[in-house]
Amino acid sequence: MSTYVYGIAAGSHPGLPEGMGGVGDPPRPVRILRAGDLAAVVSEAPDGLRPKRKELLAHQNVLSEAGAAGCVLPMRFGSVAPDDDSITGVLAERAEHYQERLRALDNRVEYNVKANHVEEAVLHQVMAESPDIRGLAEANRQAGGGSYDDKIRLGEMVAAAVKAKEADDGAAVQRALESAADDMSVGPESTGWLANVSFLVDRDEAESFLAAVEQVRKDMPHLEVRVNGPLPPYSFVEPGPAEPARTVASGTDTGAG
Amino acid sequence: MTVVPAQQSGGGGGSSGLYDVLELVLDRGLVIDAFVRVSLVGIEILKIDVRVVVASVDTYLRFAEACNRLDLEAGPRKDPGLPDLVGEMTESGARGKSKGALSGAAETISDAFKQARTEGSEGETESRPRARKSTSSRRKEEQE
Repeated sequence: MSTYVYGIAAGSHPGLPEGMGGVGDPPRPVRILRAGDLAAVVSEAPDGLRPKRKELLAHQNVLSEAGAAGCVLPMRFGSVAPDDDSITGVLAERAEHYQERLRALDNRVEYNVKANHVEEAVLHQVMAESPDIRGLAEANRQAGGGSYDDKIRLGEMVAAAVKAKEADDGAAVQRALESAADDMSVGPESTGWLANVSFLVDRDEAESFLAAVEQVRKDMPHLEVRVNGPLPPYSFVEPGPAEPARTVASGTDTGAG
Repeated sequence: MTVVPAQQSGGGGGSSGLYDVLELVLDRGLVIDAFVRVSLVGIEILKIDVRVVVASVDTYLRFAEACNRLDLEAGPRKDPGLPDLVGEMTESGARGKSKGALSGAAETISDAFKQARTEGSEGETESRPRARKSTSSRRKEEQE
């Protein structure tokens, strides 16, 4: 019988959600496996487990519950071990590594921040800042909308200006929140948002972090800013480059086409 | 232990925050090479789709139209959508007003879920409720 793994915690974690419903239908009860000073939050792995919404939520909920009472290293969704023994084996084998991560992340949570432009507001800015775009738009308007080619030309210019603003505003959001957090991890880029950044925040500093987010919303009213958290520290479980943020951000302008 | 601050935008319990944390749950977190991972067939579509919208003729035309309609004299603050948005942000209720790219992605995800559901259903206890095809998506909302 294979075993689904949600996360790894210290053996002394005071509130591991034993018995809570996990993945599967019916939800498989959460169990705790222990090895040395470590504990793994697991359940039976249902056959044919797929990345459905319900299962993703179950994974996230178990980790939220466990994370509320103490530090848990969240597994990526869908980690299945052949049996309980192989999990306790891994815990024993890599105990030092997990202990180090648990200490580093103790009392810290992740806040994920996503921002995108309020389209009308950003178009306003772009027009206000560029005489060329303004002129072309005015000419088009006077020509009753302009020809297809004129529209494309205007649209291209606007799109380029908006893209440049996305990069600037994304960097500005990052800068504004960086100082309120202990660490930062830039998430995958996409056109859905101009900033997708996770911040590692001390629980005791969560209020000031959220205040910093509020400030960003006030200072940049042309942005829509969404915050998710506190989350288990998904983006910070692996050590490695503590601040990959800058290198990743500087590569923002690659996909120009 | 310290008190956990109130969860923003319901990422834990409600499903509304799930889209926003989806890539964290699927792409981040510990990976142990001794364990296998559930197949994510269908889910990968998300990232590809979300990038497609970048710079197409449609986008250009849309921007051009929008610029033609813009009343520059009014100034950006007059945009009636703005005060609303600011107020709604914490509830993530603003999703409906966000860019088309985003809702497109959301749809793709739910499609992927449906697809995954169909593929993975044989032998599962769920296959019974699923048999009522016409209401399956609504049922899904209720159940999950």
